[in-house]
Amino acid sequence: MSNRPANIGSTLLRPDALLKVKGEARFSTDFYEKGHVWAGVKRAGRPHAILKNIDYSEAIKLPGVIAVLTHKDVGGTNRQGVIKKDQPVLVEDRIRHCGDAVAIVLSDTRRSMEEAIRAIKLEVEPLPAVTDPRLSLKDDAALVHEKNEDRNILLGGAITVGKGRAAEAECDEIIEATFETQRQEHAYLETENGWARLDDQGRLEIVCSTQTPFRDRSEIAEALGLDLKNVRIIVPYVGGAFGGKDGITVQTLLALSAMHAAGRPVKMWWSREESFIASVKRHPSILRYRLGAKRDGTLHFLDVDITMDTGPYDHLGGVVLALAMEHSGGPYRIPNGVVDGRCVYTNNPISGAFRGFGVTQVSSGIERAMDLLAVKIGMDPLELRLKNALRAGDRNFVGKTLTTSTGITECLETLASHPLWTQRSFWKRNAGILKKRGVGISAIVHGSGYGPIVPDYANAKIELTGEGKFRVYCGVVDMGQGNSTANVQIVSSILNQPANDIELVLPDTERTLPSGSASASRCTYTFGNALISAAKIMKERLCRKAADLMMKKDPQEFSTTPITIRHLPTGSEIPLKVIANMMDSSERIVTAYFRAPVAEDLVTGDYNLRLHGMPHNLFSYAANLACVELDEITGKVTVENYATASDCGNVLNPQLYEQQIQGGAIQGLGLALYEDFVAVEGHVTTKDFSTYLTPTSMDAPDIESIAMGIYETTGPFGSKGIGEIATNGPLPAIANAIFDATGHMLEKSPITPESVLTALTEISKE
Amino acid sequence: MSHALVPTKLEELWAYIAENPEAMLCAGGTDLLVKIRSRSVTPDCLICLERLDDLKGVRFEAGEIIIGALTTHRELLHDPIVQRDLSILASAVQNLGSPPIRNMGTLGGNIVTASPAGDTLAPLYILKARLKIRSKESSRSVPIESFILGPGKVDLRAGEILSEIAINQDSRFTVNHFEKVGRRNALACSVVSMAALMNIAEDNTISEIRLAWGSVGPTIMRFGDVERLLEGRQLTVRGIEDAIRKVQQSVSPIADTRASADYRRDVAGRLLLRLLSYASSR
Repeated sequence: MSNRPANIGSTLLRPDALLKVKGEARFSTDFYEKGHVWAGVKRAGRPHAILKNIDYSEAIKLPGVIAVLTHKDVGGTNRQGVIKKDQPVLVEDRIRHCGDAVAIVLSDTRRSMEEAIRAIKLEVEPLPAVTDPRLSLKDDAALVHEKNEDRNILLGGAITVGKGRAAEAECDEIIEATFETQRQEHAYLETENGWARLDDQGRLEIVCSTQTPFRDRSEIAEALGLDLKNVRIIVPYVGGAFGGKDGITVQTLLALSAMHAAGRPVKMWWSREESFIASVKRHPSILRYRLGAKRDGTLHFLDVDITMDTGPYDHLGGVVLALAMEHSGGPYRIPNGVVDGRCVYTNNPISGAFRGFGVTQVSSGIERAMDLLAVKIGMDPLELRLKNALRAGDRNFVGKTLTTSTGITECLETLASHPLWTQRSFWKRNAGILKKRGVGISAIVHGSGYGPIVPDYANAKIELTGEGKFRVYCGVVDMGQGNSTANVQIVSSILNQPANDIELVLPDTERTLPSGSASASRCTYTFGNALISAAKIMKERLCRKAADLMMKKDPQEFSTTPITIRHLPTGSEIPLKVIANMMDSSERIVTAYFRAPVAEDLVTGDYNLRLHGMPHNLFSYAANLACVELDEITGKVTVENYATASDCGNVLNPQLYEQQIQGGAIQGLGLALYEDFVAVEGHVTTKDFSTYLTPTSMDAPDIESIAMGIYETTGPFGSKGIGEIATNGPLPAIANAIFDATGHMLEKSPITPESVLTALTEISKE
Repeated sequence: MSHALVPTKLEELWAYIAENPEAMLCAGGTDLLVKIRSRSVTPDCLICLERLDDLKGVRFEAGEIIIGALTTHRELLHDPIVQRDLSILASAVQNLGSPPIRNMGTLGGNIVTASPAGDTLAPLYILKARLKIRSKESSRSVPIESFILGPGKVDLRAGEILSEIAINQDSRFTVNHFEKVGRRNALACSVVSMAALMNIAEDNTISEIRLAWGSVGPTIMRFGDVERLLEGRQLTVRGIEDAIRKVQQSVSPIADTRASADYRRDVAGRLLLRLLSYASSR
């Protein structure tokens, strides 16, 4: 950190960087106490069955075992979920996927806990498992939730734009393709875990790794039948989340355990294998695209059909579908068409929030469709994109008028003049022996925030401490992305205080104020806006106080300077510490509220789609370029270079910006080439990191991130969301590069060496 | 597991083995500890061999290169003898696992694990490595291909350990080639691998060749008929086509989450094409 005031737009080292490198940062996994209890979960182990009996008679007898808990021990609704509460905390009578939690074992040691879990016997009556989302829609499919209104459909909807399908006949060229994207695991370093204790007043304190402390509190209280006021959630440093901790993981199970541990603290920490089976994944999707244009390349018509496999529970599946539908037309003006989507229940692993959140899937669809169309029309793919790129004032595909900064044209123009693009023919010709090269691009739009109905708000709180320093109460979790660093920068720069005099209080439902989830590319936008207001109020209050003290009429004559307040005309100073000591503790605290503006456009009459977020108001943009080399012997794909030009508003911290772009791009590279979370008939076959392959540092290309730096007038210091957009670019850019090299558009991801080899051998036959 | 024993001298080792006949031997643990974690083996006692300094290091002895079985992969990579005289083994080890695995894992461990995907095995087969097996009372020496019996199966009897690997450099090769096809560039289990030792005449005919494949059968596979077919052939696509087909017909791969059997079969043969890059361009 720095002993001088931070500047907006220059790199400030993360305050947590050194702590984490030295191992001093405390995560929820680091909580231990002599005599604490271990709590572990018995998982269902089968995809679909009637649960007839849980026999734990042997387990309870094992030495060290304190209790075995089942649904009978749950006092509240026993249901959790964000929009639709359809997931039991502990299964009552119906098992809906292998990872369902059936019972909890409380034990003195981890080993006896594990032994007891193995000793629990489940008596079940197997049911046919629904594991193919297409078959899940058939009339004869088994029902995952018997009482669901629309058989196996969690959420479905359609939007017709302009003339709808009638415009198809007006197109000169039409392409059609069906793409399939796979299930992806978040693979954060820190698996789901927490630490909980029930005190003698009946208050539950839970320390856990989550993106959503305030929402967790409500969910726990409701599911277990507790008073909200008696539940406290504390979130220390989080070791990665990417959407996988956007909602309940261990929290309710842990709370229930603490209620049966006689006041002893309880620890629950899922193993990697358990995390794989029980946690949510990116939705697998089937995307049918029909894209039509006029002869000159003007897009005229799009027909998209989206099917997403949400597994047995909503989690955030409906919201993911709605965002996918909204972004299905990419960053282009497409005046006519239809988008039809559905998110279906299956007995597969649960799908839910994952960085990119449905946009990743449809971006890979529209962007591959664009390259197919470019070839069909005989137009340069970048030129085709530029010709149709959205501008402020245009309507996007679902009919939302763009009223905020819209920089996709600048992003595409940046790529158009980039050496990797202008010199691509030369580079491709220089492929080595038995190698082939291709260059591909993708253009991405990504909305941020919650949509028109669910309020996207934050409450910032700053306290002047007795020592004259500032304490910032962060209501939004920093799961590693660095938003708390941006908070330091904002307060430090507005108040002109040394960055290392700004103390952060990490989310705690009793100390920090409700500020929504750490998700939806919203953290710095929403919380940052609230924090700017709070810092300005604090500055004004301190200057006023100083004016009173020095008997000056105009607080404008004062400014905060490092550790003091200075009277500018005379240069005399009062230390902040002195001012602090003259203020009552309530005066030393400032709070401010911000609620993000929302779209006023009525793009659909379907309230349910609007509730699930359709449409958004603020969008980030990016254009990406991938240079790939293919090996003709093995089909191996090497991404040699990757560049991205992005419009995510004004950059607050260039280093954090670059880290977000690079991290997102590598996660997207994983989706494109490596990661595939496989479930066969509902049973996970990629049980750990030996078969679930994420890219390593040896697989990551050089990634150039160019910021357009366009100022967004509604953003904090002109910034927009950057958390997710980079994840969406690699799959379509790499697929398009392979298309460029081979003439074959690969429609299924991950793109395996096997599928590339097939494409390569087909060219040699042609 | 209740306890682990860490002998530093061979006499200590023999005594521990005698006292704990059911114990499992650990030589780096990069495979064994994974199995213990997943409970696919549940030993009560481990005897860890890593501190037996007598069984470490690389040396010349009577015209042979002798590698102690407990030499780690990292030590192999940094060893001047391995770098100079066993470059094919060095290139296999370079791609093995990741730095932490190379720091822990040992050559002897890789052999005794006897995975068809063991990265060092294909080079050792064509280097005609002989393995020295010792027990308290006796010592014997076996060629690696008769020691490895199948996936995870080796000819090691109760009380015996693999102590040394001996390589006799009867002939020298100008081409020392190893290629591992994995699903990523590090921490990848091989999908197919091929090791080749080759001499080429001035006119680009193959004068001598030894080949071995990994991950396409229950153990490392060598095909004498393929080698005989190639010797005397031109190092061109035409010259090796029928050898490629023969390899594809001879391997017996399985399918798993990493690749299909067809892909492994196809690529096993195609990997011969990489040898074309060694042809001199006149």
